[in-house]
Amino acid sequence: MRSQRGSGPGAGALAGSGKSLSVSGLRKTYAGVVAVDEVSMEIEAGEFVTFLGSSGSGKTTTLMMIAGFVEPDSGVIKVGRRDVTRLAPQKRGLGFVFQQYLLFPHMTVAENIAFPLQLRGLSKAEVRRQVGQVLEMAGLEGYGRRRPRELSGGQQQRVALCRALVYRPPVILMDEPLGALDKKLRDQLQTEIKKIQRELGLTVIYVTHDQEEALVLSDRIAVMRDGLIDQFDTPRELFERPRTAFVADFLGAANFLPGRLENHTDEHSLVRLDHGALVRARPHPLAPGHRVRAAVQPGRLGLCAPADGFCTGTVETVTYVGTLVRVGVRPAGAESPIRLELPAGRAPVTGEQVGLTADPGDVTLFGDEEGR
Amino acid sequence: MIGLRSTWAGRICLAVASTVILLFLVMPIVVIVVTSFGKDALGSFPPHSWTLGWYHQLFAPGSKWPGALSLSVLVAALTTVFSLLLGVTAATALVRRDLPLRSAVYGLVLAPMVIPQVVIALGLFLLFDPAAMLGSPIAIALGHTVLAAPIAVLILMATLRGIDERLEDAAASMGAGRLTIFRRITFPLAAPGMVAAAVFSFITSFDEFFISQFLSSVDTTTLPVQVFNVLQYDVDPTVTAISAVLIAVAVLALALVGVVRRLGSGRESGLLPVDSTAALPGNEVP
Amino acid sequence: MAGSVLAPVPASTAPAAKSRVRRSLRSRRTRSGLLNGAPIVVYMLVLFVYPILSTLFLSVKGVHGGLTLHWYADALSGANLAVLLTTLRISAETSLISVVIGFLLAYAVSRLRPLWAGLVMLIIVVPHFISALVRTYGWIILLGDHGVVNSVLVDLHVPGAPFQLLYNEIGVIIGTTSVMLPYTVLLLYAVMRGVDRRLLAAAASMGAGRLVMFRRVYLPLVAPGLVNATVLSFILCLGYYLTPALMGGARQTVVAALIDDEVMKQNQWNGAAALGVILLVLTFAGLSLLRLARAIGASARQRGAA
Repeated sequence: MRSQRGSGPGAGALAGSGKSLSVSGLRKTYAGVVAVDEVSMEIEAGEFVTFLGSSGSGKTTTLMMIAGFVEPDSGVIKVGRRDVTRLAPQKRGLGFVFQQYLLFPHMTVAENIAFPLQLRGLSKAEVRRQVGQVLEMAGLEGYGRRRPRELSGGQQQRVALCRALVYRPPVILMDEPLGALDKKLRDQLQTEIKKIQRELGLTVIYVTHDQEEALVLSDRIAVMRDGLIDQFDTPRELFERPRTAFVADFLGAANFLPGRLENHTDEHSLVRLDHGALVRARPHPLAPGHRVRAAVQPGRLGLCAPADGFCTGTVETVTYVGTLVRVGVRPAGAESPIRLELPAGRAPVTGEQVGLTADPGDVTLFGDEEGR
Repeated sequence: MIGLRSTWAGRICLAVASTVILLFLVMPIVVIVVTSFGKDALGSFPPHSWTLGWYHQLFAPGSKWPGALSLSVLVAALTTVFSLLLGVTAATALVRRDLPLRSAVYGLVLAPMVIPQVVIALGLFLLFDPAAMLGSPIAIALGHTVLAAPIAVLILMATLRGIDERLEDAAASMGAGRLTIFRRITFPLAAPGMVAAAVFSFITSFDEFFISQFLSSVDTTTLPVQVFNVLQYDVDPTVTAISAVLIAVAVLALALVGVVRRLGSGRESGLLPVDSTAALPGNEVP
Repeated sequence: MAGSVLAPVPASTAPAAKSRVRRSLRSRRTRSGLLNGAPIVVYMLVLFVYPILSTLFLSVKGVHGGLTLHWYADALSGANLAVLLTTLRISAETSLISVVIGFLLAYAVSRLRPLWAGLVMLIIVVPHFISALVRTYGWIILLGDHGVVNSVLVDLHVPGAPFQLLYNEIGVIIGTTSVMLPYTVLLLYAVMRGVDRRLLAAAASMGAGRLVMFRRVYLPLVAPGLVNATVLSFILCLGYYLTPALMGGARQTVVAALIDDEVMKQNQWNGAAALGVILLVLTFAGLSLLRLARAIGASARQRGAA
């Protein structure tokens, strides 16, 4: 399990009878530089899994190895029980949705979607029926005779999606399929993709660098960095129990509060922050006296009377973002403000003295040398 | 458009000058077509009375034109085949594959476009004369291919560059094998370019003079060589009609390319039937 | 499908270059490249390079074997030298005239709206693909003593009309220019379309007059295209002899016609080969000139940027 940097129950524990894709020890180097380093994971049938990471994290390379466009140096890829590691892409029977749509410009929308069905030798009538079915599902009735270039970007990507799922591949791979679309259209298509995936029970592996998109869509997210998986878990687990500082930061832009581990109680670890406050956190195995950072998401902090919180500070900034308000509170002696996200109704006033509260379960400790 | 407004006088001068220059380009062609329908084929312009007689005479018994025409068509057809075969493989290698010494190969392929054709013709003469192949349609076609293949390569390279290679990957991801990908994706997308390459190879051979002249024998002369001989030695009124036929062939060929481009993927638009600079020699001097 | 374009571009580092070459030779893309590239390379070597090399060899081969420069001495003296000079003169005249009027036409087209520009370019491109032989014949009809041009001039009572326009240098220049013109227009048009006209507006806003603007801004921008078009049409003229042969007189014999004559009528292959090599050398000289001009242009631009 080298791919798991953290500890605790990982993907391996979830292996069950319904697994539809498994990858083990996948490794790829380009001219001596490691792009993907021994990635292993198992994906259940019907699951929506996202590879999340910034560019160069190895997420796309991993996807391309699963698709067969990139040959791994070592490792095994299995679809169901079948080993496909050395098979050409066309023999793997997977579906692929590309960021650039890659619809065939010389075919109509209907012909594009019919193409994989024709390859499978379906009768003309059956092809027509199934094409009609998916077009309807994607809200593209009446577009069958159009050419791809006559459609908008969002419509083209819907067609690409139809083309990838019409032949019911056991796994559909998607490489930043919404990356070329604007924000509003992206949100709309995310909802549609999720809905279709649920309804048809599709197994999807999705690649993106957008954590919000990953959180909206995924059953499980593999957060990748430098060719390794930092953590492979449900969005909730990633958010609430980040295993590395990188995950905590990448998913929620957590506050990192430097301090020193003071001691352990039965349920919590106690940390003396550098500006003097004492905060309770989820237990951490390090011995008292070590330098640590306490990570807490802005949305998990609350305000209270100055005397009641684990620390007090002055409200520096208040910014309204729709129904939320972003608040910056600087404790006396702190280098930078602590960021909070509150419902708009509970907004404090700048200059106000406030106390901060946090559930110890929402505060995760990381050793100072760990990650980042 | 942001730019300069020209004065009216300047504009008119420029318009008049351009019209004269355009006439300069078009007149010799128009005069042949018109004269070929005139009773007095070598004389006054515009003709006083009209006839189709010269066209009938082209195919009269004893006329030398049908033989020259059929030889030219045969040679041009062979050239088209050779040039397409070489063009498709070479363009694939240059655009889609990793080719060692790529720029050297590219230079070699395009070199015939800038070397004086008379030198190429002389060299080919020296090659085929000892092999007793002078007058052979195959020899002439092999020679014409030296000139036609570079044009085909340029057109096909532009065509292949215009096809997103990842479309082939997309087809593979859906389960299409190599043959299917070629048949259903690459070939249909490349077809307009292949038609253009074929047409330009054909015209290049059909109009070629120097190599034909050096490789012809007494009884095998291509159409341009025959026209040249007639013009130089025994002026014959039917030459006007055959010249008009040559013009018609070229115009029809260009129109064919234009139509195929339009029909094809329809992605490129524009009135030019030709990738105007691709088919020109010298643009890519090595 | 290893090495597909879909693969993310790897960060390039430089390990042992040798092993990389060996590995790249093993890759399927390279093997397929060699396989696809081989036919045209072999073809060009056999039917293009080898014939030219054998011409080269023949031009230095003595009648009884051995090496000699006799054929070059012959080609560069007496009547042959005159022919060579005629060729250079006609090529220079033709290329200069076709660049000047090509410049005018290309400039006019570059100022037109796209639709009109397309139509006019069609008028320019179509003749380019019509046999030069046929176009030359058209000029013979037009320029004869009783041809259209002379009849119009006579009708206009132009003093001295009808003129002798055929079988002399005027006829050759008119005919050859008309053959070369589409080519120069296309080369120049491509360059002019790339000129950012806002630069001219900028110059005007600084108070530059028309002439200054043309000389200091527009001309430098299109200069590379002008050099290119001049040299390339000069090179094309060097080996061209249809029009001079049909529209010129005895004093317009060009080198290419002489080569034809020596091979077809006199069986003087060695002499023809020497003349061919001289044309080849002139061509390479022209191409090197182009390269030099480009290098100078590039370094000037670099200095400008610095």
